[in-house]
Amino acid sequence: MKNIVEIKNFRMDFGNKTIIKDLSFDVRAGEIFGFLGANGSGKTTTLRALLGFYTPTSGELLIDGKPYDAEDTNVAVGYLPEERGLYRKETVMDNLIYFGELKGLKDPRGWAEKYLKRVKLEDKADLKLEKLSGGQQQKIQLGVTIMNNPKLLILDEPTKGFDPMNRRLLMEIIEEAHQKGAAIIMITHYMDEVEKLCDRAILLKDGKAHAYGTISEIKKAHNGKSLEQIFIDVYGGEDE
Amino acid sequence: MNKTLWIVTKFEFIRQVKKPSFWATILLIPAMVIGVFAISMLAGGKAAEPTLDENTKIVITDEAGIMPKENPMVAKVSKDEGRKKVVDGEADLYFYIPADFKDTKKVEFFHVSEGLELFNMDGQLIKVILKQALSSKYSDIEVAALTGDFEVTDNKLTKTGAESNALGKAIIPGVILVLFFFFVTLFGGRLLMTVVEEKENRISEMILTSVSAKHLIIGKIISMMMLGVIQMLALIIPLAAALVIYRDNPMVSQILSTIEIDPLAITENIILFIFSAFLTTGFLTYIGAITPTAKDASQFIGPVIIGVVFPLYFMSSFMATEPNGLVYFLTYFPLSAPTALMLRSTFGTLTTPELIIGLAEIIILSVIVIRFTVRTFQKNAINFGFAKPKLLTRSKK
Repeated sequence: MKNIVEIKNFRMDFGNKTIIKDLSFDVRAGEIFGFLGANGSGKTTTLRALLGFYTPTSGELLIDGKPYDAEDTNVAVGYLPEERGLYRKETVMDNLIYFGELKGLKDPRGWAEKYLKRVKLEDKADLKLEKLSGGQQQKIQLGVTIMNNPKLLILDEPTKGFDPMNRRLLMEIIEEAHQKGAAIIMITHYMDEVEKLCDRAILLKDGKAHAYGTISEIKKAHNGKSLEQIFIDVYGGEDE
Repeated sequence: MNKTLWIVTKFEFIRQVKKPSFWATILLIPAMVIGVFAISMLAGGKAAEPTLDENTKIVITDEAGIMPKENPMVAKVSKDEGRKKVVDGEADLYFYIPADFKDTKKVEFFHVSEGLELFNMDGQLIKVILKQALSSKYSDIEVAALTGDFEVTDNKLTKTGAESNALGKAIIPGVILVLFFFFVTLFGGRLLMTVVEEKENRISEMILTSVSAKHLIIGKIISMMMLGVIQMLALIIPLAAALVIYRDNPMVSQILSTIEIDPLAITENIILFIFSAFLTTGFLTYIGAITPTAKDASQFIGPVIIGVVFPLYFMSSFMATEPNGLVYFLTYFPLSAPTALMLRSTFGTLTTPELIIGLAEIIILSVIVIRFTVRTFQKNAINFGFAKPKLLTRSKK
C-alpha cells in the first residue's frame, strides 16, 4: 500500500532541549494510525513539523512524497489541532463558509447546512461562535477539518473533553471519513479508541519509537498485554 | 488575483465592514471635518468684512472710473506699474479695477506672499473701500449694486515679482498626505489586531493548513487597502460637497480660487501613498506576527505611528527651499520616509532622483518587510509567546 506520510530520521531541538531524537515511521493510504505517547513526548511537535509549522533540526517529513505546502499539494489534508480556535466573533455559518471556500468546496453553504443538521447545531448557524459551548465549538472545528473529504486526516486528541454521546457521534464522523478513503493519524489517550479503530500505531518514548507496527504486533511484542497496560508499563513511574 | 488570495481578502473585508466600530470610525472623521467647516463658515460669516488698517499702503487703479478721483488710494498707474509697486514694497496691496468692471464684476488683487497663508482676507478690503468711497458719489442702491457680489482674483507674488502660489499647489498633495495619516492611524492598528487575532484565538494552526501564510497576510493587507478607499471616499465626498454647497462663501471661494493643480506633485504623492501604505502596514503586520496577544501588540502601535508622523514636527525645515541634513535623514529613514517624501513633494523640494531613490527604498523595504512578516507568521503561528529568533533559523541539514 502506498505511503501517504513518510517521516525519516526526524530530529527536533528547541534550543538545548531535544524533543525528538530520531524518529522514522510511515502512514499508509487509507489506514487509521494511532500516534501514542505521554504528554510532552513530542507527538504534537511531530505533527506540526509535518505540516510545516516547525522546521526540523534534521530529517525529512513528507506528505505524498514532498514537504507539505497548503496551496501546492495533491493531497487534501484535514487537521484538527489540539488548540481549538476559529473566528470567535464571526457566526458559525460564516466560519464554515470561509473555510469551505478556502478548501475549494463548490457549495460551502449547502455543505454547512447539512453538517450542522448532522451534529444537531442547525439552530446555531447564525450565532457568533463564541456563544457556543466548548463541545459545540469542537464539533464546528471537526466539520472544518473534514469538509473537503481529506485524503489525510490528522486529529490531535479529537474527543478530548467530550461526553460519551458526543464522543460516539464524533467517532462515527471520523469513521465515515475513513470509509471514504482517508488515512487518519490520531493522537489520543483513549487506548480503547486505538484498539477499536487503529490499524497500526506508534508509541513514543524518549524522543524515539518505543513500539511501532500493527496493533496485534505491538501487543505480541509486549506479551499480549492490552495497549493501556503497555502504556502504563512504558511510562510507569514517570510524572506526566 | 489568485483565488485563495481573493477569498481571504473578501472575508477580511466583509468582516471589517460588518463591524459597527468600522462605520463609527469612518463617519466620525468626515463628521468632524464638516463640523469644523461649518464652524469656520459661521465664524467667517460674522467677520466677512476685514477692517481697513490706516498703516496699510493701498494703491488702486480704477479704469472703470467708479471711484471718486480725490480718493488718495487711486493712482494713475497701469496694472504692471501697480504690480511693480507691490514687489518694490511701495505698496502693500494693489487693486486693479478693469474698465469693464460693471459687466464682469471682477477685480484683481496683487500682494507679496511667499508663504502658505490660506485665509488672506485682504482681497476683500476692496469691498470696504468701495463702499466707503462710493457712498459720497452714488445712492445707497447704486452702492449696493456696485459692491454686491463680485470676484476678487488673488495674485500672490514673490519678492522677485514672480507669481507665487506655493499654497495652491500644495493643497491637493497635502490632502493626499492627510489621507495617508488617516489610513495609517485608522487601519494600521486594525490590521495589526487581525493578525494577532489569528494567534490569540488559535486560528492560525487551523487556517495555515488551508491557506499559505503569504496569501493570508497579503489578503489582510489588501482588504485594509480596500477599506482605506472607503474611508477616503467617506472623507472626500462630504468635503467636496461642502466646497460646492458653500462655494459662494468668501473663504470657500478663496480656497477654490487658490487651489492649483500640480499634476507632478499629485501623481508623486499618489504613488508614494500606495507603496507607503504597503510599507507601513507591513511594519505593523510584522509586529502582529511577533506578538502573542492584542494587548502586547497595542503597545507597539504608538511608536510606529510616531515614526510615521515624526517629520511633521519639523514642518518648517520641510517648507524651506533648501532642505537641511535632518530633512535628508528623515527622507531616507524607513519609518519616516513616506511622510518626508510626501511632504517634500507637496512643497516642491523633491528632485526626480530623490523621488526615484526614495520610492525604490520604500518598494524594496515593503517587499522585504512583507516577506519577512510572512515567514515570521508561518514560523510563529503556533508560538503563543513572543517570537524568538531561533525559530526563524533554517534547519541544519
